[in-house]
Amino acid sequence: MVTVGLPFLEIFARERRANAAPDSFPKRFGMFFWGNGVLPDYWVPKGTGTSWELSPTLAPLAESKAKISVVSGMKVPIANAVPHLSGPIGFFSGSPALATDKEAFAAPTIDQIIANVIGTDSRFRSLEVGVQPGVKGMSYNGPRSLNPAESSPAALFNRVFGAEFVMPGSDAKPNPALALRKSVLDAVTGDAKRLQGLLGSTDKQRLEQHLDGVRALEQRIKKLEESPPSLAACKMPTAPKDSYPDVDGRPPMSEISRAMSDLLALTLACDQTRVFSLWFTQPVNNTLFAGAPAGHHQLTHDEASPQPEVAKILVQIMTELAYFLKALDAIPEGDGTLLDHCGILATSDVNYGRAHTLDDFPIVIAGSANGALKTGVHYRSPAAENTSKVALTLARAMGLSLDSFGAEEGKTTSGLSAIEV
Amino acid sequence: MSPRRFAPLLLLALAACDGEKKETPPTPAVEPTGPVGTATPSLSAAQRLTGPQYRAAIRDLFGAEVVVPPALEPDVPLEGFDAVGSSKSTISARGIEQYESASYAIGNQVVADPKLLGRVLSCKPSGLDDAACAKTFATSTGRRVWRRPLTNEEADKIATVITTSAKTLGTFEKGLAYGVAALLQSPSFLYRPSVGEPDAASASGKRYTQWELATRLSFFLWNSVPDDALLDAAQAGTLGSYEGVKAQVDRMLASPKAREGLRNFVTEWLRLGELDRLEKDAKLFTTYTPDLGPVAREETLRVFEDLVFDKNEDFRDVLTTRKTFVTPKLASMYQIAAPSPTGFAAVELPADSPRRGLLGHVSILALYAHPTSSSATLRGKFVREKLLCQTIPAPPVNVNTALPEPTATAKTLRDRVQIHFQNPTCAACHKIMDPIGLGLEQFDGIGRLRSKENGAVIDPTGQLDGVEFAGPATLAAAIHDHRDFAPCIARKVYLYATGFAPQEAEEATITALSERFAAAGYRMKSLLAAMATSPSFRALGAPH
Repeated sequence: MVTVGLPFLEIFARERRANAAPDSFPKRFGMFFWGNGVLPDYWVPKGTGTSWELSPTLAPLAESKAKISVVSGMKVPIANAVPHLSGPIGFFSGSPALATDKEAFAAPTIDQIIANVIGTDSRFRSLEVGVQPGVKGMSYNGPRSLNPAESSPAALFNRVFGAEFVMPGSDAKPNPALALRKSVLDAVTGDAKRLQGLLGSTDKQRLEQHLDGVRALEQRIKKLEESPPSLAACKMPTAPKDSYPDVDGRPPMSEISRAMSDLLALTLACDQTRVFSLWFTQPVNNTLFAGAPAGHHQLTHDEASPQPEVAKILVQIMTELAYFLKALDAIPEGDGTLLDHCGILATSDVNYGRAHTLDDFPIVIAGSANGALKTGVHYRSPAAENTSKVALTLARAMGLSLDSFGAEEGKTTSGLSAIEV
Repeated sequence: MSPRRFAPLLLLALAACDGEKKETPPTPAVEPTGPVGTATPSLSAAQRLTGPQYRAAIRDLFGAEVVVPPALEPDVPLEGFDAVGSSKSTISARGIEQYESASYAIGNQVVADPKLLGRVLSCKPSGLDDAACAKTFATSTGRRVWRRPLTNEEADKIATVITTSAKTLGTFEKGLAYGVAALLQSPSFLYRPSVGEPDAASASGKRYTQWELATRLSFFLWNSVPDDALLDAAQAGTLGSYEGVKAQVDRMLASPKAREGLRNFVTEWLRLGELDRLEKDAKLFTTYTPDLGPVAREETLRVFEDLVFDKNEDFRDVLTTRKTFVTPKLASMYQIAAPSPTGFAAVELPADSPRRGLLGHVSILALYAHPTSSSATLRGKFVREKLLCQTIPAPPVNVNTALPEPTATAKTLRDRVQIHFQNPTCAACHKIMDPIGLGLEQFDGIGRLRSKENGAVIDPTGQLDGVEFAGPATLAAAIHDHRDFAPCIARKVYLYATGFAPQEAEEATITALSERFAAAGYRMKSLLAAMATSPSFRALGAPH
């Protein structure tokens, strides 16, 4: 694990972290994803290391610059067989697509790999939310096993802060119906296990996912019977609107995103989950952004260089990322803020939208994960390194002791030392 | 009696405009019958119930009065069909929560309404712990919900849930709600397991059990659960032969539920569900309103339903017909007088209208287009993939795909996409798609007719695989007569019915289905019946 030339201080720091006292605030992992890539000329910052300038697309993140790092020059290691999908498959799972279907993830995505370790005691093992109406996201437990995103702020509010929410610091209310719900889930479990005995291995796996969901539900019911310790930063959010209809045929992306961001920030502050993914838009989405003369995807392909309308859309998206990060940074937790205790991967499905390239992949990392990640840095890979290194770094920053991330041509055993503390 | 006799004269008279060309298939004197295809099955899976199937099941099991919560696990299409996606997709943790919540919402409604309760509860409970009545309920309702008889152990388990809940909550009805919830949350409801039984006659050595076959038939033809008559047929073992299955299939195709089944097939095949999320720039398309997508879908579904069940005519005519169903809003978009002041009514478009059939519907024209414009490529791709079963490969990477803006000399989309044909890398795929879509350029991004773009007259001519067309009407006729169109319909039905893309050994059945379709004058009911009664449909293939 030690490479030649690594400064002694860093080795020591790594070991020390392994033996350190437990954090007083838990680490949270998150993803922020938008579809259709970036414009490389507008994205890559000038300068590297600790002296670098925000690029035009990244300008909206000015207030958070000290708490983010930008990684550029990395390459997604798998074959670019399917535009817009090969990128997420190779980056988020580190593994090639299914041999029989190049559009399908073959392995779990990084959020679920992390949730498997840090999410097991939470009320929600992970939360997938979206902004583009109907966006499904790409959080996978394994092949064909999607965790679809919730794109209605009202539904997210009801799910997290509705009737089943127990305010940290308050006493759980006794509820005889909980035992009855559990007895139903017992019967369901028995039915699922009986069926597993009769079916082929693929369907057995599918039913195992079903049982995982049942167990997660049982975990949630268990939480209803517990009185969680109080959390200073936790408060009830204001309920969002019931719906966010299109305005003149355009979805109100900013309004929806802010409602989701505010909810997600309090969801984390109230420790309802420690793993999340925010799917701003889907790969290939043709969303009509405010002021745009055509759909996003159409513009990435049809607009003449330098694609100023695409550039404007990207600034809108980064403005919403900035809002989200500020919302997290506004929540005090101990000596720092919620953002300090997060490690968030913000990225897209391709580099240059028009050409569907997978090299020089656009990556922002926000938050220091309780001091495990370096912030305020621009690292530009000189050698088209594997994006799996970023995933491995983030997983390790969350406390996972992984020897490697990914498989086959996507596999790496080293993280990105430039952003590791 | 048929106006088609005059078609050759019409063709001469209208030679100057984009006229019609119709081929009449020979009307069979006797509907061809008999089994179609070999006993080679598709792969098998425990297919997950889709959203529409879940809702239809609740409606058929408990009553249309029951309101199913809107939030259920989303469906995932594969090979263009949610039915195929359901063979592989799983239920997420959030989905489990949603099904749990829905099951209680449904159970509570059923027990709160004496009429609904009366449909499922035949005994009068003697008290909160009346295990016998609880078991009677579990047995009879369980048979319908799980589509098979419950074992003694299973029935006892559900009965215990009922009586325990009744005692905790204070009424037998409240306990029953938990029994309903347990039935609805179980994988035996949410999935369609395929375990099967031995059968020497099938190529795989196995066939679906009678119960599994009843379920397979009802989800294919009705997109819902078997009714009591079909369950009884399974119980009696009559679904083992061609004749036994045919008797049920004929009954099922005559039921109103078959119309729901067809609507679901068409919705999945043409991706009409996406009309719920149609995004059009309302400043550019001033007639666009958020309800346009669903209303447009309803027009298309009515046309298919009418053609298949009320007229029972050549399915291919959906492309060439001038008959459709419109609301006043759609009528104004089609620039015709509304046939009725409110709601949908039948109408026939004028003969001189370029609009014909499915490719003239707002649904298809708006869905396969961009938010701010039409799209020759998306519409051409639609025809190739959905109507002719031809796959278009993904675009190559590192290609400059910019389309030039309109100029004084290049005003129309036809002019601007020439760049697709000049670059050989682009031309390989675009020359297969764009000429078709350019034939539909007289219809803008929401399907309204226009003759000019940026002041230049639109040229809707082109050729489809060697057949020239003068505009949308003759394009529609060219697709109607294309040798790949009807076999593609048969293939789509096969995919939908089996839930899998076919393997090599299954092609013989698909060919046989295409031949039967043609022999039956391209009547969809005949194709559906042929699929449902095919020995391949009863045979159980290897697990996926």
